[in-house]
Amino acid sequence: MFKNLIEYMGIEPGRLQFSWISSAESTKFVEVVTAVTDEIKALGPHENFVKKEARVA
Amino acid sequence: MLSYIDKIKEISRRLLSESKVELVIGFRKGSVVMMNEPCFVRRPEDVGQLVWDGNCGINLANYLTDRKEKIGVIAKGCDSRNIVTHIIENKIRRDQVVIIGVPCQGMIDRRKVQALAESEIRQAIETEDSLRIKGDGFEKTLDKKEMLQQNCAICIHRNPVIYDELAADEVPEQSGVDRYEDVRRIEAMSADAKWDFFEDLLSTCIRCYACRNACPLCYCPTCFVDESQPQWVGKSQDPVDIRTFHFLRAYHCAGRCTDCGACERACPMGIKVRVLTKKLEKDCLELFDWEAGMTPDKRPPLDTYQANDPDEFIK
Amino acid sequence: MTFIKIDKKDWEKGLERASQRYGLFGPVRQEQYCVFKALTAGELPDMAVQNTRLSPRSVVYPQSEKMFAFSLDENQTDHHILKEIDKAYPARAVVGLRPCDARAFLLVRPNFDTPEYKDPYWVRSYESTTFVGHACSGPCSTCFCTSAGCGPFHEHGLDVLLADTEEGYLAKVLTEKGEAFMAAAGWETEADAAPDDRMAAMKAAAESKVTAKVSTDRLKEQDTTDLFEAPFWEDVGFSCINCGTCTYVCPTCWCFDIQDETRGLSGIRMRNWDSCMYSLFTLHGSGHNPRNTKTQRVRQRFMHKLKYYVDRYQNGIQCVGCGRCIQFCPVNIDIRRVCDLMNRFEVS
Repeated sequence: MFKNLIEYMGIEPGRLQFSWISSAESTKFVEVVTAVTDEIKALGPHENFVKKEARVA
Repeated sequence: MLSYIDKIKEISRRLLSESKVELVIGFRKGSVVMMNEPCFVRRPEDVGQLVWDGNCGINLANYLTDRKEKIGVIAKGCDSRNIVTHIIENKIRRDQVVIIGVPCQGMIDRRKVQALAESEIRQAIETEDSLRIKGDGFEKTLDKKEMLQQNCAICIHRNPVIYDELAADEVPEQSGVDRYEDVRRIEAMSADAKWDFFEDLLSTCIRCYACRNACPLCYCPTCFVDESQPQWVGKSQDPVDIRTFHFLRAYHCAGRCTDCGACERACPMGIKVRVLTKKLEKDCLELFDWEAGMTPDKRPPLDTYQANDPDEFIK
Repeated sequence: MTFIKIDKKDWEKGLERASQRYGLFGPVRQEQYCVFKALTAGELPDMAVQNTRLSPRSVVYPQSEKMFAFSLDENQTDHHILKEIDKAYPARAVVGLRPCDARAFLLVRPNFDTPEYKDPYWVRSYESTTFVGHACSGPCSTCFCTSAGCGPFHEHGLDVLLADTEEGYLAKVLTEKGEAFMAAAGWETEADAAPDDRMAAMKAAAESKVTAKVSTDRLKEQDTTDLFEAPFWEDVGFSCINCGTCTYVCPTCWCFDIQDETRGLSGIRMRNWDSCMYSLFTLHGSGHNPRNTKTQRVRQRFMHKLKYYVDRYQNGIQCVGCGRCIQFCPVNIDIRRVCDLMNRFEVS
């Protein structure tokens, strides 16, 4: 539901990903990390939901 | 609906004089047009001040949290579901409350009414179907059904789901209601359009937290926005912080929100925050077949694990 | 006092001329209501609105304001030292505020501008602002300004007072700052036909329309402790949901909270409006909270506005009768009712 909510408010689909990996599944861990890194890099930097300094008076 | 008040008073008087409860929480007449003020009555002779009309939109379940006495409370459909949630979450015990159930046909949105008037409304006279408003130099009769709060117009649980006494006969539930038309419209937008939609919606937020305080579910001793170690979200009017507050608050109400509309009613800036909570309500229904507060005997979906919980989002 | 007449056809042009020398602020429509905003080029203030939803408090005293900046980089010589952020306060003019809101600034000033201590942000902001007020000809049913120390044509706190006439506005120039503004706008035609009589008549007519009243005559002599322990607070405060709306729409509220926000090796210290309605407001570092119940907080708000301020500043109640808290309180707690309860309270 959280993923749905995040996408609903305007974060691109694919930014938030979930995976269930046991500490014994090192191979899967490497695969998932590599895949996610590539996918996120392909999306490019996200500008919107970033706060550098409070935008106030 | 306007005739319910006699039965409400009779029940309240009886409960107090028989000492079944120490106080009854209801409404008394407000000091401005189209408003009533929540109040408590301790003595049977004071029940005369209680009122019931189309301006009783405030969710009285908000006043129950963590109280220790035996309380009588007047509850509409949505309020009764919030009481169920309170019981499930141990904020009040079932045997502490005597619920005076009131079948509801919708509450008036006074801002919607005021928008149709040329100047300040000085008087509003309500009947079963209409609302007659008067001001300086104008008079209008409106169809009450058109003037309802948005959540009331699409309500499908107008009858209390839990009660000890019923103040009137149950009303027919609305059918064929599309509760999620606005949610679907937003879901269909592109990510950028969605971003801009919410940026626009929340741009007038003044971080007053009226929505949070009016909500009967928001009872955390320390709200996440008030935490300082660590500080999860800033307290200023920075747009990113405003957005975070709203969507996280909505998320904390996931599976618990009954769409009572108290948040939108309370917001001084008139922000339509329900568009966030309704998305979660829709997801709960689709993913878990869950509607908040319908029965005290089932645990909410975010509370329990079941083997058939949807998990196709996990890689 | 000079009276100037402003013709409708000169209104827009005059504001445009004034905008060369002043940053203009005025009521701007947003959704169904108006708030005070900086006027963009050519944008006119909405003079038809009875009153704005949020008061012009935010023009002088922004809701979120950065005050200091600091570096956490220990390689810098000035690390961990708070440095005041340079802020400019160019001349500004608020056009179209109501007399009640202008008086509110005067009530708030003794808090920020004292002989011993001055809040540099508030004081500089206030002093660089010229207030061009708009007299009320049609007060609301929730307005009770005449019994709260001001009125629909009240002049204190304003530099110019504009009254609606058929041709445009009748302007009463009240101060030197007001004169400077009128000159910048090029509005210099003196009004004829006994302008002071005309304004006095309009004032009387408007004041007679203010039907809501509060009694404040006995507040000063009430014993503070007796009032504090009065039994009516539970009933007054029961419906309150501590939502904070009253404090955010109120023109005389002044409380703020200071926060540091850091990112990486730099940070800022800012202040945000705060509200005595929140339980966090008086939460001590030790964990103790002297006002941890709702009733105590509600009592605090009304005691502050209607008793402590009266005793401390000898300037009446800390309320101008604008009626916003009455209109926007989601549970209809009415300050007029509470003031009445406090005023006529007697220990039984």
